[in-house]
Amino acid sequence: MSIPLDQILIQTVNGLVNGMILALVASGLTLIFGIMDVVNFAHGDLVMLGGFTGAVTIAATGNFWLALLVAVLVIAVFGAALQATTLRPLLGRDPLTTILATFGISLVLQKYALWQWGPSARRIQEPLTGQFQLFYLQYPWYRVLTAVLSAAIIGGFWLFLRHGKYGIWIRATMQDRIMASAMGIPVPWVHTGVFAIGAGMAAASGVLFGPLGGVTQNMGLDFTLRAFIVVVVGGMGNLGGSIFAAILISLLEAYASLVVSPAQAVIVSFVVLILTLLFRPTGLFVPTPK
Amino acid sequence: MLTLTEVHTYYGKSHILLGVSLEVQPGEVVGLLGRNGVGKSTTLKTIMGLVRPSGGHVRFEGREIAGTAPHRLAHAGLAWVPEDRRIFRLLTVMENLRTGLDRPGMTEARRRELLDKVYAHFPVLAERRSQAGGTLSGGEQQMLAIARAMMLEPKIILLDEPTEGLMPRMVGQIREIITLLHQDRVAILLVEQNVPLTLDVSDRVYIMEKGLVRHHATAAELRADHAVIHQYLGV
Amino acid sequence: MIARRSPTAYWTGFAVVLALLAIAPLVLPEFWRRFVTEILIWGLLAMSSDILIGYTGMVSFGHSVFFGLGIYGAAAALLSVKPPNLWLALLYGLTAAGTAAVFVAYFSTRLRDIYFAITTLVFSQIFYVIIFTWTAVTGGENGLTFAQPLLSLPGLGAARFTPETLHWFVLGVVTVSYLLLRRITQSPFGMVLQSIRENEPRTRAIGYAVERYKIVAVMLSGLFAGLAGVLYAVQNKFAAPDFVFFAVSGEVVIFNVMGGMGTLVGPVAGAAFFLLLREGVSRYFTEYYLIPVGIIFTAMVIFMPQGLLGFAKRRLNE
Repeated sequence: MSIPLDQILIQTVNGLVNGMILALVASGLTLIFGIMDVVNFAHGDLVMLGGFTGAVTIAATGNFWLALLVAVLVIAVFGAALQATTLRPLLGRDPLTTILATFGISLVLQKYALWQWGPSARRIQEPLTGQFQLFYLQYPWYRVLTAVLSAAIIGGFWLFLRHGKYGIWIRATMQDRIMASAMGIPVPWVHTGVFAIGAGMAAASGVLFGPLGGVTQNMGLDFTLRAFIVVVVGGMGNLGGSIFAAILISLLEAYASLVVSPAQAVIVSFVVLILTLLFRPTGLFVPTPK
Repeated sequence: MLTLTEVHTYYGKSHILLGVSLEVQPGEVVGLLGRNGVGKSTTLKTIMGLVRPSGGHVRFEGREIAGTAPHRLAHAGLAWVPEDRRIFRLLTVMENLRTGLDRPGMTEARRRELLDKVYAHFPVLAERRSQAGGTLSGGEQQMLAIARAMMLEPKIILLDEPTEGLMPRMVGQIREIITLLHQDRVAILLVEQNVPLTLDVSDRVYIMEKGLVRHHATAAELRADHAVIHQYLGV
Repeated sequence: MIARRSPTAYWTGFAVVLALLAIAPLVLPEFWRRFVTEILIWGLLAMSSDILIGYTGMVSFGHSVFFGLGIYGAAAALLSVKPPNLWLALLYGLTAAGTAAVFVAYFSTRLRDIYFAITTLVFSQIFYVIIFTWTAVTGGENGLTFAQPLLSLPGLGAARFTPETLHWFVLGVVTVSYLLLRRITQSPFGMVLQSIRENEPRTRAIGYAVERYKIVAVMLSGLFAGLAGVLYAVQNKFAAPDFVFFAVSGEVVIFNVMGGMGTLVGPVAGAAFFLLLREGVSRYFTEYYLIPVGIIFTAMVIFMPQGLLGFAKRRLNE
């Protein structure tokens, strides 16, 4: 079987675009894991809620950029409230309990969305409708824009982590929660803040993804799973690794969809996850544990 | 200033502190001696709010602080230099110091002053300010741990085995810095295995055994009383 | 746990509950009779996952795989062999679930905590995708319908299932399974599993081959889940990809948390509580019953981690 080169190149562009959105979702997840050892099972549902918040705002205002901003802020505040009420009491308990609690949250959020917005998908109108010629395809500029925006958000967050007081607080808390609190860093609030940032990043991906795949109440599980796979393959808590892994996995899925149906292409990332867990359980990109 | 009355602490099911009482006055250096595993480090962690006592009172400047979050205690004037130093290994030396500097009510001038002071005492930290904390040697990490605590401008430092595993030259430096903090009227609760050093720098000394304070004397008295030292510490 | 009570009290309680469940189909109206039978089946599924979640401390989000393959395995036997045979359905169902369990166990038991949970979830997605897309064999989205086999007991001949005999058959299978599982959890093997839950590195340090124990635990758990699937197939006469989907696994986890993990009886009570709650709440919330149920579930994880049974037990002991 031979596949034309132009198809492979188109799938490469697709893979990169999807990879950047996935990287944005996974960054939040890996950050939350890195700082509080919580795998947020409801992370994909925050993507979904962000998407719906964006869709509602667009319906009211017609402005995509305003919708992006509103969704990020609303979901960040919501995430902060969620963390403070359900995860903060669980700090230091069996990791099993945080898995269960976030699973419960995920269930509630998904059914809430179903109740509020119904079962059908909502498309978000893209802010940019131009297209350019990519081989035999008219390729939308908006897809390229999402990749650039995702990269910009991740980059902005990276700068925030590297410079300034709050970045130091977050990194110190990640490395040694107890010492950080003994140095006067308000660790419970750092946790809440980081959860809010992660939620905000998830919301941004939801809005950016809206024009591409639509927003549905049950999209959360898929995002959670894929983001988790990325985070494991990239190394838990490793931001850079997650970005590489997101792109790697999205590229593999894009290439696989040349051969099998998209539903089956997902299995590729599952296989990557299982192989990673078996042979490099600390992830592909982790040099040594901290 | 700091008073512990009948403090009990558990780790899971094991009872570590069985009613510890001790006291530190402002500006005083107090030694806490005892063999390994008698609860010295746990006493410091309990004071710092890292372990919650199950009974008794911990009072700081007349206020009950048992159960208060550690970060509030850090702002109230307590600083902790743990046994294993716990440098933020991936943060630079400067960033390590900033964890204690970036707190409410700090002025730029005051920051400068504090930094200049520790850099004067520990010139090596000034040299390595952009280097990751994890790349420092053991002795340098100990310096950094103490310097980092000083950034909080504490009223009392809980100093846990600062000379453990250090070369003799470094031990001398630690002794100097304790003396210096003493002159600055910073109180110190010093946990040590190094008996001569402790007797040398302390005003008073408590000796712990199996979760309890068994003996209490001034350092001068203990220097003359080898029997007690031998009985509790075997040296 | 259970051993704290006196054996006489325990067996008396057991006999009373069993007797009540046995006469239930004779006194209950049709709807509730069916409901109780269904609770028993879901209860068995919940118990099977308790081996992992409650005793070994591994949260399985993939129990739908074993349950679903039990159903599809039974379906294969009932569709391919004429006349449909109950015991063949059982054999096929257990084989299918057991094979899947070997597969999942091999890959996932080296992992702990969330890694195990997500890997089991990933496996359930893989099986879901396969079953959903392999239309020629599985019927795809529409699933399969098949005839109910006869209730054939060795030496007693065969007869059509009536609602009563079906209930008793299910009750018998679930009771025997419960007694077996109880035996297993109280055996030295079960003690090692609990020691893995309490402290895995220490268990390993003592010299137990932790991975092997976990593999056996996953396989046992998978077999009993498959058994529940077979019972479900016999009761409902159809198989659908939905039974392999994650949502089923999620419900099983909810049963465990609500009833009380690590008690065997708790998850059954949890299943009953959940199904009753769904029955009651869905009158007002229709399909959104999972909103209040999810809130209750999350609150229980935080405030009542020992579950209903543990909570009641503590109250009784006070």
